Amino acid sequence: MPSPGEPAKAGDTLGLLQDLQPKLLDWGWIGENFGDEILPALIGHVYLSFVSVGIALVISLPTGVLVSRYRKAYPPVTFFTGILFSIPSLALFAFLVTVPGIGIGPTAVIIALVAYSLLVLIRNVVAGMDSVPEETKDAARGMGLTARQILFGVELPLALPVIVAGVRIATVTIIGIATIGAYIRGGGLGELIFLGISRNFPTRVIVGAVLATLLAVIADLLLLALERYLRPWARTRRA
Amino acid sequence: MIEFRGVSKTYPGSARPVVKDLSFEVLDGEICVLVGPSGCGKTTSMRMINRLIEPSSGEILIDGEPNTAMSGTKLRRKIGYAIQQIGLFPHRSIADNIATVPQLLDWDKARIKGRVDELLELVGLDPGVYRDRYPAELSGGQQQRVGVARALAADPPIMLMDEPFGAVDPINRSRLQDEFLRIQEEIRKTIVFVTHDIDEAIKMGDRIAILKEGGVLAQYDTPEEILTNPTSDFVTSFVGADRILKRLSLTRVSEMELEPANGSGEGLPTLSDRLTVRDALSALMGAGVGRGVVEGEGGRRLLTMEAIEGLTRGARA
Repeated sequence: MPSPGEPAKAGDTLGLLQDLQPKLLDWGWIGENFGDEILPALIGHVYLSFVSVGIALVISLPTGVLVSRYRKAYPPVTFFTGILFSIPSLALFAFLVTVPGIGIGPTAVIIALVAYSLLVLIRNVVAGMDSVPEETKDAARGMGLTARQILFGVELPLALPVIVAGVRIATVTIIGIATIGAYIRGGGLGELIFLGISRNFPTRVIVGAVLATLLAVIADLLLLALERYLRPWARTRRA
Repeated sequence: MIEFRGVSKTYPGSARPVVKDLSFEVLDGEICVLVGPSGCGKTTSMRMINRLIEPSSGEILIDGEPNTAMSGTKLRRKIGYAIQQIGLFPHRSIADNIATVPQLLDWDKARIKGRVDELLELVGLDPGVYRDRYPAELSGGQQQRVGVARALAADPPIMLMDEPFGAVDPINRSRLQDEFLRIQEEIRKTIVFVTHDIDEAIKMGDRIAILKEGGVLAQYDTPEEILTNPTSDFVTSFVGADRILKRLSLTRVSEMELEPANGSGEGLPTLSDRLTVRDALSALMGAGVGRGVVEGEGGRRLLTMEAIEGLTRGARA
């Protein structure tokens, strides 16, 4: 059965056979549909991932800083975010669409992606804060920096590379999970993959999968570069 | 002047105080060394001066004013602070590290830059070479120097130093101590210096406060007095069995009152008057004679065992 919208030469036995066993990669289709299907899916995916990591960061930074100060809160926070992290993604999506006011669409996907990022991000914020040497904080206090100046001038800059390392892991994870979001009409590259599967059109599947992979790899490399850039003092020469 | 008045500190949940009813005065321009075994409360005492720790009772006056008269942060910006682990900011250049307090005090850029270079020179680091480096690029001894420069940056009248030369090898430590004493000759700060090392205390201190466990002041005196007349068995054992020799190392031969040699020095060993009495004694004993001739600005003078003994007369055996 030829799928609607796909090239098919009706009545041609050979063409019918080709439709049943379609070409792996139809470059012609890619060229024709780049602007109105592939690019929007890619942009949608970037949007989903970045908004999710952004929101998760806004939640995780203050939470992580507070938890690093009030240590008793750390186990419950990791327990809760750990539970969120362990829910299978499809189950979480399915649950969220049943919540009144959320329903099907990108909102549910973003909420789920944020929930998945929290564990990694909060852990890395705390690890980053912990990595600040005690004597550096003591010297800062002893010289008359206020608590605020110590947080923003000493602790966060020193913790930042570790925090960005967490953002890397969260981003790569989220770019992957976001593809499943297409199942509940979240948009993104997952739409290409699901549509390609349901219409037995491998080109869509491959384009979606390859772009999702490339996106993850590129995001990882960019964040790695950022991590290095934020640690100029580690690029040292010995006197 | 820093004045401790009946200062005690007991940490919450602890029955025993770490500092108990401490009263003493640190005079302007002097180095006061707090020394004692671990757990004697010396660091706690020091940290109460700039209110990194608040006392449980008693008060600390700085130039007659309680140190609680202003906010803790404002107070700390007026008091230099250097610690053993240095605590340089790894993400800031050497210049920015040194400029920390001047920046907090809103000095203008040109003044800060001038001050940074001046301080780097003072501690023996070439500003052109080190200004823009990061702390990780410096050796331990160089970092200690930067730590001292940073503490001096805003020219505070008072400095607190907690084992500031503790993290370097003995040779470098001795050099840093000498350099710091030379700097102190110029800057004449009022310094509270914490160490666990009695030799460092004797070398650095104009006055030494020996604390014993539980934060009790055992003796507060000049190094000479502490070595010559320890007031308790604790102090005697803390300063060590070689306290008489340590006492001799505090005096140079040139400072002794000696008779002119007047030709009686034939065949005796000749010594420089720049030696400490301890080293001179060692030389006399090494030569196998009880006398020697000292050469120096005071001419040729005769050094005898009796004269050396005179220095430590009155010391309890």
